[in-house]
Amino acid sequence: MAKRPPITNRVRELRERDGLSQAALGQAIGVTRQTVIAIEQGRYSPSLESAFRISRVFHAGIEDVFGWEEE
Amino acid sequence: MSFHEKSAWAMAVILLAGLGWYVRTIAGMSAGMEQLAPPVLPVVIAYIVVIVILSIVGHVLIAVAKPSEADDMMDERDKLIAARAGNVSGVLLGVGVLAALGAYLFTYDGNLLFHAAFLALMVSQIAEYGARIVYYRGGV
Repeated sequence: MAKRPPITNRVRELRERDGLSQAALGQAIGVTRQTVIAIEQGRYSPSLESAFRISRVFHAGIEDVFGWEEE
Repeated sequence: MSFHEKSAWAMAVILLAGLGWYVRTIAGMSAGMEQLAPPVLPVVIAYIVVIVILSIVGHVLIAVAKPSEADDMMDERDKLIAARAGNVSGVLLGVGVLAALGAYLFTYDGNLLFHAAFLALMVSQIAEYGARIVYYRGGV
C-alpha cells in the first residue's frame, strides 16, 4: 500500500462551500471525478498545475487550499 | 470506480484466466509426452486471440454499464498509476527473461526457454494490472 503523502488539503470544504459537485470540479481542472475523490481523501497529491487550477477555481491562494503536515 | 480501474480489474481477471488455461494446457501436453512439451503455435495463437476477444468484450460491457465514463481520457492520476505499474511490470519481465535465459545456459532446453519467457510476459502483464488496482485503491 502506498504511503500517504504528508500533504493536507481543504478541497472538500471549499468545494462544498461553493456548491460544486466533484464532477464539476473535476471538469473545471481537467481530471476525473474519481481523481477529485482521491485528492479529497488524501490518496493522491495533485500535480502543481492541478493544485494551482484548484486554487483558482476557489479564488484562493495555493497555501489556503493545500498544506504540509509535519511528520 | 473509474473506467480505467474497471478496465484494470477486467484485464487482470482475463489474463489470470488465460495464464491458468495456458499452464494447464502445457502441463497436460507435457504429461502425455513425459517431458516438457514444445511450444505449439496454435496454442499460442489461441491464447492471444481469446485474450484479445475477451478484453474487447470486457471493455464493451464496462462501457455499456456506464456510458458517461466510457469516453474518459486518462487524467494525470491515471497516467501516473499506469507509469508506476508499467515499471513494476517491466522489472518483472526483465527478471523473468533473464531467468529464462539463465536456465537455457544450464539446460540448453529451448522449450523451457520459450515457456519461461512467455510465462514471464504473462505474469508481468498480470502484475501490471494488479499494481494498477493497488495504486487505485491504496493511493499513489
